[in-house]
Amino acid sequence: MPEIPKEARFMGTVTAQTMHEMQNILAIIRESAGLIGDILKVNSRVDFKHKPNMERTLENITFQVDRGKGWLDATSRLAHTPDTDLLEGCDLTAYSKTLAKLADRYVRLKGTALNFNVPSTALPVSMGALQVLMSGYRALQWAVGAGMKDGVMRVDLEGGTDFHILTICPPEGVIPDREGIAALETMLEPGRVEWDGSRLQLFFPVQR
Amino acid sequence: MDMNTWNILLVDDEVDFIVTLAERLELRGVNARVVHDGEAALKAVADNVPQVIVLDVMMPGMKGIEVLQKVKSEHPKVEVILLTGQGKTRDGIEGMRHGAFAYLTKPLDLEELIRTIDEAIRLPEGTPHA
Repeated sequence: MPEIPKEARFMGTVTAQTMHEMQNILAIIRESAGLIGDILKVNSRVDFKHKPNMERTLENITFQVDRGKGWLDATSRLAHTPDTDLLEGCDLTAYSKTLAKLADRYVRLKGTALNFNVPSTALPVSMGALQVLMSGYRALQWAVGAGMKDGVMRVDLEGGTDFHILTICPPEGVIPDREGIAALETMLEPGRVEWDGSRLQLFFPVQR
Repeated sequence: MDMNTWNILLVDDEVDFIVTLAERLELRGVNARVVHDGEAALKAVADNVPQVIVLDVMMPGMKGIEVLQKVKSEHPKVEVILLTGQGKTRDGIEGMRHGAFAYLTKPLDLEELIRTIDEAIRLPEGTPHA
C-alpha cells in the first residue's frame, strides 16, 4: 500500500473535520434564510417598502450557500484522500469533477476559463485519489502556463480498455514549458504522460 | 401527500439547524418532534413510534448508524433517512446496508427532503431496500 506522509494525514484529518463544521454552518444559514422566505410567503399579502430587497437578498443567500456547498464537496473529498480505502484505487470520474472544482480558481486567476467534460459513468482506476488529484492539478497548472486573457482550456475525460485518458488542451496561444513534463511523468507512475505539442494526455491505469 | 398526518422524528445535535428545519416543516403542516442525540432518539421512538426518522450520522455519543441499527432491529417498519457528510459516501452506503431508506447531504434541499419522506411513507410494507 502506498505510504502517505504523516503531514498529509494530519492535514486531511483536520481539514475533513473543519469541512464537516462548515457543512453544518451552511446548513444553518440555508435553513434560516429558507425560514425567512417561508414567513414572507405566508404573509405575502403584507406589503412593506423593502420587501423586494429582502426577497432579492434571500435569493442571494441561497445562491451563495449553493456556491459554498460546491467548494465544500471538493475540499472534503480532497481532505479524505489519505484515507486507507482511497490509497490504491478510486473513481476517476468523481475525482476529475473534484479536480475541476479545485483547479477552477487557479485557472481563472490566469484569465482562463476551464471547460471540463466528464462522462456520467464511473471510471475506476488503480491509482489513489490523492495521486490522481496531485498529478491532475499539476498537469492543469503546467498546461495553463502564464494563462491567456479570455482563454479557454478544454479538458476531456474518456474511458479506455487499459487506461482511462484525461486530455488537456492548453489555451490557444499558450506554449507550456516542456521541462515540466518530466516531473509530471514521475507523479503519474504507474500511469503515463504524452505531449504532442498541442495536447497533453494523462493515462490512468484501469482498475480490474 | 397528506403532510398533516405525518409522524416524523428529527435527530441532530446541531440545535439551530434542526429546530429551524422543524419550524419550516411546521409551516407546511408537518409537526415533527426534535431530539438532539442518539439516546434521546431511542427514547422518543419507544414513547411514540414514528413513521420516518431523519437522522444525522455524525453526533457525539451514540452515532447515527448505531441508532439506525437499534431502531431497525426493534421497529423494522420505521424508515430512516440519514443526513451524511460530503467527503465520503461511505456513511451513506453503510447506512443503506443497515436498512436506511435514503441518505441526503447537508446543506439540505427542503423540497428534496419532503419528497424523500413522502416516498418513505408511501413505501409498501415488505418492500426490500435497494
